[in-house]
Amino acid sequence: MKPVVELKNLSKTIGSKKIIDSLNLSLYPGQITGFLGPNGAGKTTTIRMMVGLMKQTGGDVIIEGISLRDNFEEGLSKVGVIVENPEMYKFMSGYKNLVHFARMHKGVTKERIDEVIRQVGMQNRIHEKVGTYSLGMRQRLGLAQALLHRPKFLILDEPTNGLDPAGIREFRQYLRQIAETEGVSVFVSSHMLSEIELMCDRIAVIQNGKLIDIREMSETKESYYYIEATPLEKVKELLVNEGLAVEVFKNGFLVNAEQQQIPGIIRSFIAEGLEVFAVQPHKKTLEDEFLEMTGGGQIAESYAK
Amino acid sequence: MLNLMRNEWMKLWHKKGTWVMVAILIVITAGMMALMKWISIQDSNFDNGSGLSVEVQAESIPDWHEGVQGDLASIQTRLADDSLTKSERKKLEGEEKVAEYRLANNIEPEDHFSREGMIKQPADIGGTVLLLTVIVAAGIVASEFSQGTIKMLLTRPVKRWKILTSKFLTVNLFGILLMVIGYIVYILLAMILFKSGTGQDLVWNGKEVVEASVWGQSLYMLLLSFGSVFVTSTFAFAVGSVFRSSSLAIGLSLFIYFTGTTISAMLSKYEVAKYLLFTHMDLTQFETGMMLVEDITMPFSLTVLAVYIVVFLVISYSTFVKRDVTA
Repeated sequence: MKPVVELKNLSKTIGSKKIIDSLNLSLYPGQITGFLGPNGAGKTTTIRMMVGLMKQTGGDVIIEGISLRDNFEEGLSKVGVIVENPEMYKFMSGYKNLVHFARMHKGVTKERIDEVIRQVGMQNRIHEKVGTYSLGMRQRLGLAQALLHRPKFLILDEPTNGLDPAGIREFRQYLRQIAETEGVSVFVSSHMLSEIELMCDRIAVIQNGKLIDIREMSETKESYYYIEATPLEKVKELLVNEGLAVEVFKNGFLVNAEQQQIPGIIRSFIAEGLEVFAVQPHKKTLEDEFLEMTGGGQIAESYAK
Repeated sequence: MLNLMRNEWMKLWHKKGTWVMVAILIVITAGMMALMKWISIQDSNFDNGSGLSVEVQAESIPDWHEGVQGDLASIQTRLADDSLTKSERKKLEGEEKVAEYRLANNIEPEDHFSREGMIKQPADIGGTVLLLTVIVAAGIVASEFSQGTIKMLLTRPVKRWKILTSKFLTVNLFGILLMVIGYIVYILLAMILFKSGTGQDLVWNGKEVVEASVWGQSLYMLLLSFGSVFVTSTFAFAVGSVFRSSSLAIGLSLFIYFTGTTISAMLSKYEVAKYLLFTHMDLTQFETGMMLVEDITMPFSLTVLAVYIVVFLVISYSTFVKRDVTA
């Protein structure tokens, strides 16, 4: 599949500090890619370079084969952007705001504006001043302005900030729908890991300005088991002898083992006279993986990886 | 570009403040005219009420003859001075011709407070328009930053210089509109409040003495007074777009507008005063003759102003186009 967006060696240096260091990333049509990273990792800077708010110091952003560096206007005409809270002109109605942004794109008709308003379900209040809108309404309006020109690529920075659970769910379904029906490539940055987990097909993780991991969410997850038994040293010795990666977790261990290995392990435990309290499948959440990858938080020494 | 300007124009008029500004302009202009009328009434009361009998007044009617004769005498003494520059001499000679013509043909000079006299000096509205245009110029870029809408504005397939240009043109269009509104109010009130005068305004056109065109002169003064509006609002626009603070831009611009003339007057003895912005901002000085610094000419002033404008705009454009938007 041909990527919609390619970041090629994208770099940003401020003073002598490398904020973003040679980032390479491709985004494909119909796919929702999550963008994760701890605070200060360079998520926002990367996104701002992709939408023309910041100038890169090296590398390039290619959108449908067009380099933003060479042809900013044509490249960006395929991009829809929501950067953090969509700040609109509060003193104008939602409709006037949309007209304002529509005028900055080529070929957005009145019918298209009405169509988008229907899509985001704002027909009833579109002629009221934005100042009177709730945050949820403003988010919808923000989405509407990003969709006006039928972008091939939608980029969202913390899009669900301030939405209630129902709103988030609706938003998620909506993104999924446009990604699938219109083949739009979506790039979402968020701190809300559970959110990303539900929304994305693929995640890219950035730390200290470097891309440290890209993975497909649909990939069959490695299976983990939680084993609690005493004495601990003996348990660990046995597990290591089985050739398994062992990780201390709560009162026991996490092992990266396949289902069919488990009965054998339990048998050997019994044979050795160990006291077994619990053996249960363990599902690592994205949060665990994220913290593991970025080394944040209080994760015990890891033997795995 | 037209669409961008329509956007700016739409945003401008959706702010209540803009309408308030127009109202302020109309009120201030009307107030000034009322004040002028009051002063003119006081003046004529003073003439009438100074205890002179009707006969004495009748005798004092040819007063203007004495006035013109006095002017003529002083012009002639000044002309006798050899140290005059060429342009000064030419100007004085013109005045001499006009004064002689008046006396010879018995033509009364125009009263300052006549309708024609008022129409010819619409420059006063320039000050009010300047104040209001500076407020708009200072805020048009800065407010996008303070509202956070700059992110929405710059993530469009439109180059930044185009956005800035649309804003600059909108500011000037707004300034022109205010000038026109102020002028219409001014002229209407001049027509209503003041009577047509008996005198005539005469000028020497190089060959002969002719009557000055009322409307030509009026529009010319209006154009000249727009000069300072344009320069000051460009300055406010530049400061506003560089520092993203409209209050700083308004403060600095008004500071320059009010203290600039004082600074120029203080430095008028020195060569450097000729190259200061303040010396040239008020273009009406060439018509009223109240020059801040001697021996500067209109083309020279226009050149100096043009250089300053270019500098302001270059600074404004280069920072706006390069800026990394983080807010």
